[in-house]
Amino acid sequence: MTSSRLALTFRGAVRLAAPLLGGLAMLAGGAGAARAAKPIVIGTTISETGPLATDASYQLKGIQLGIAEVNAHGGWLGRKLVLKYYDDKSSPGAAVRLYQRLITLDKVNLLLGPYSSLVTIAIAPLINKYHMATLEPGASVPDIYEKGNKWNLMNTADSTTYLHQLLPLAKASGAKSVALLGLESAYSLACYHARVAQAKQLGLKIAYSTTYTLQTDFSSIALAIKNAKPDVVLECGYYPDSVNLVRSLHEQGFAPRFLGETVGPVEAAYLKALGPLSNRVYSNSGWWFNFKTPGNKAFIAAYEKMFHSLPDYHAAAGFTAIQVLGAAVTATHSLDQNKIRAWIVTHSVSTIQGKIHDNAYGHTIGAVQDMVQVQHGVLKLIRPAALAQAKPEIPYTGH
Amino acid sequence: MLALQLLVNGVLLGGLYVLVAQSLNLIFGVMGVVNLAHGAVIALAGLFTYWFTAQTGASPLLAVPIAFVAAALAGAVGQRLLIEPVMRAGGSKSELLSLIVTFGLSYILIELALQLFGADFVSVPYLQSSWTLGSLAFGKALVVAGAFAAGMSALLYLWLNHTMSGKALLAASQSPTGAICCGIDVARVRVTAFAIGVGLAAAAGALVIVIMPVAPQTAADLNLLAFVIIALGGLGDYVGVAIAAVLLGIAQSVAGYYLGGNAEYVLPYVLLLAVMVALPGRFRRVR
Repeated sequence: MTSSRLALTFRGAVRLAAPLLGGLAMLAGGAGAARAAKPIVIGTTISETGPLATDASYQLKGIQLGIAEVNAHGGWLGRKLVLKYYDDKSSPGAAVRLYQRLITLDKVNLLLGPYSSLVTIAIAPLINKYHMATLEPGASVPDIYEKGNKWNLMNTADSTTYLHQLLPLAKASGAKSVALLGLESAYSLACYHARVAQAKQLGLKIAYSTTYTLQTDFSSIALAIKNAKPDVVLECGYYPDSVNLVRSLHEQGFAPRFLGETVGPVEAAYLKALGPLSNRVYSNSGWWFNFKTPGNKAFIAAYEKMFHSLPDYHAAAGFTAIQVLGAAVTATHSLDQNKIRAWIVTHSVSTIQGKIHDNAYGHTIGAVQDMVQVQHGVLKLIRPAALAQAKPEIPYTGH
Repeated sequence: MLALQLLVNGVLLGGLYVLVAQSLNLIFGVMGVVNLAHGAVIALAGLFTYWFTAQTGASPLLAVPIAFVAAALAGAVGQRLLIEPVMRAGGSKSELLSLIVTFGLSYILIELALQLFGADFVSVPYLQSSWTLGSLAFGKALVVAGAFAAGMSALLYLWLNHTMSGKALLAASQSPTGAICCGIDVARVRVTAFAIGVGLAAAAGALVIVIMPVAPQTAADLNLLAFVIIALGGLGDYVGVAIAAVLLGIAQSVAGYYLGGNAEYVLPYVLLLAVMVALPGRFRRVR
C-alpha cells in the first residue's frame, strides 16, 4: 500500500506541475502553441471518501483510463480531453454544491454523473435545470430516468437486475425459503424490493426480511436470520455492511446454503477482509473479464498497466461512459447538449460492456447484471451460462 | 435461550462501545478537553494495524502496544504544544476552544490517514469465529475487545481513585489553582493524562479494525458514538459509562432482533434525547 501511495503522491506532484510546465511551454512556443485547440473539459464528482469510496474509486479509474486512451488517439474533434473532478465525500449535499460549481464556475463542456443512485438523485434537479446531457455510469435506479429527469442518461444495468439469477438458481437446487436484507439507500432498496417481488413470484417463503441503515452491528440481524433458518440469504448493500453481515452470520454459527451480496464481493478488499468466509458467496457484475466485446482485452491490459491492479465492473462502467460520450460527440461533431442527448437516446453503442442503448427517457435497455461466485479466493462468472467460467459451487459453507 | 443469546450479543456490543468511549471519557469527562480528534485517532490506529499486519504477517494484537506507545508520545507532544496553551488562554471558554482546536486536528489526522492509507474501507481477518457454550455463541473478536475494554476501565478507575497521580489529575481538573497550592505539577499531570487517553484510543483502534471495516472517514461515526455513550453514562464516570455502554448494547441487540436494523441504529440517539430531557444533570462533568 505504501508504494502505491507514494506512486500516487508522485503522480499528484506531476499533476500539480503539469499546468505550470504547460504554461512555460506555451510561452516558449509562442503563437503556434497559443493557437492550439482548447481542451474539452469533462466534469464529475466522485466519492473519494465516505462509505461509497471503495466502489467509487474504480469508477474514477475507469473514467481516467478512458480519457487517457482517447487522448492517446488524438482526442475528440481534434481536442484533447481534461477531467475536472471533486470529492463529493459520498454526500448528496456536497455533490449538489460541486455540480453547481462545475456547471456555473468551472463551465465544463461535458458532465458525467457521480457514483451511486443516492448522490445522482440529489444532483438530478440541477442537471435538468441546466440541460446538461449527463451520462450516469454509477446510477442504476430506473426511477431516476423514468420519472422526468430527461437530462440524466443511464449508462449501466439497472439495480433491479442485481443478483436476479440467484433465487432461480437456489429454487432449482431445492431452496424453499429466503432471508432478504436491503440497505436504506436508493439502489439497494430498488434491488431489495425487486428481490422480494421475485421471491414471491417464485413461491419462495420469505422467512426474514429487513432494511437497515449503515451500521456496524449485525449480530441481532444475524441471530434473527439464524432462527428463521432460510436456505438463502440475499443482501443488497455496499462493501462495509456486506463484510459485517458475513462475519456476524459466522459468529452466530449460521451458514445458509446460498449467500449472495451485491456490490461488495467484487472488490478485492472483500476477499482480503473475509478470507475463507468469502468462499462461495455470490455477487453480481455488469461486466466481466471474459466478455467477448470489442476492446475488452485491451481495456483490461491498459487498466492493469495504468493502475497495477485489476478492474471491476464499476471501472468498466466509467470507461464505457467515455466510450458512449465519445461516440455521441464524434457523431454529432458537436458539444451541443441537445444534440448529444438526442443522439444517445436514438443510437446504440458497442462498448466493452456490450451494446448500450438508452430509450427515450434515458433508461438503458437490455443490460443486466450477471452473477459471479467466489471460488477459493477467485471470482468466477457463473451466469449467463453461455459465458460461465465455472459451475456454481453449492452449498456456502461459511469457512 | 434466545434471550440469553441476545444478552450475550448485547454485552459484547457494549464491550466494543466501552472500548471506543472510555479513553474519550478520560480526556473529555475528566480533563475537560472536547476532543473531536478522538475518532480520527481510532481510525488512524486501525488503518496502521491493517498496514502493519499486511506488511509483517503478524497478529494484529501485536499492533496494540505499538499503537498505544506511538499515539501516547504524539498525544503528549500535542497536548504540550497545542492543547495546553489553548486551555490556559481560554479561561471559562477553554472547552469551546479545545473543541475548535481538536476539530481542526481531526481534519489533519483524517487527511493524513487518507494520504497514507487511502480512502478504502479495510479490515483484518482475525478471530472471525466464535467460542460456544452450549448453544450460546461468543464472537471471539468481540470477546477479546470486551476483555480489553473491561481491563482498561478497571485500570482507569483504580488509577484515578486509588493512586496519587490519578488523584492529582482529578484535583488538577477540579481546581488547577488549588492543585498547584498543594504542590502538584499540574502541567505534567495533564500531559500524562492526555497521553494515556490518546494512547488508549489508538489501542482501541487496533482492536476495532478486527471487528468492523474502518476507513479514515469512519472517524466521524466513532466520534458521535463515543460522545453519545459518555453522555449517557456520565462525563468522567468510568463505571457509569461502562454500565451505560453495556445497557445500550443490550437494548440495541433486542431492538435489532425484534424491530430490525433501522430501529437498532436510531436507538442510541433516541435514548440520548430522552436522557437529556429527563436527566439534564447527567451532562455535567464529574468534579
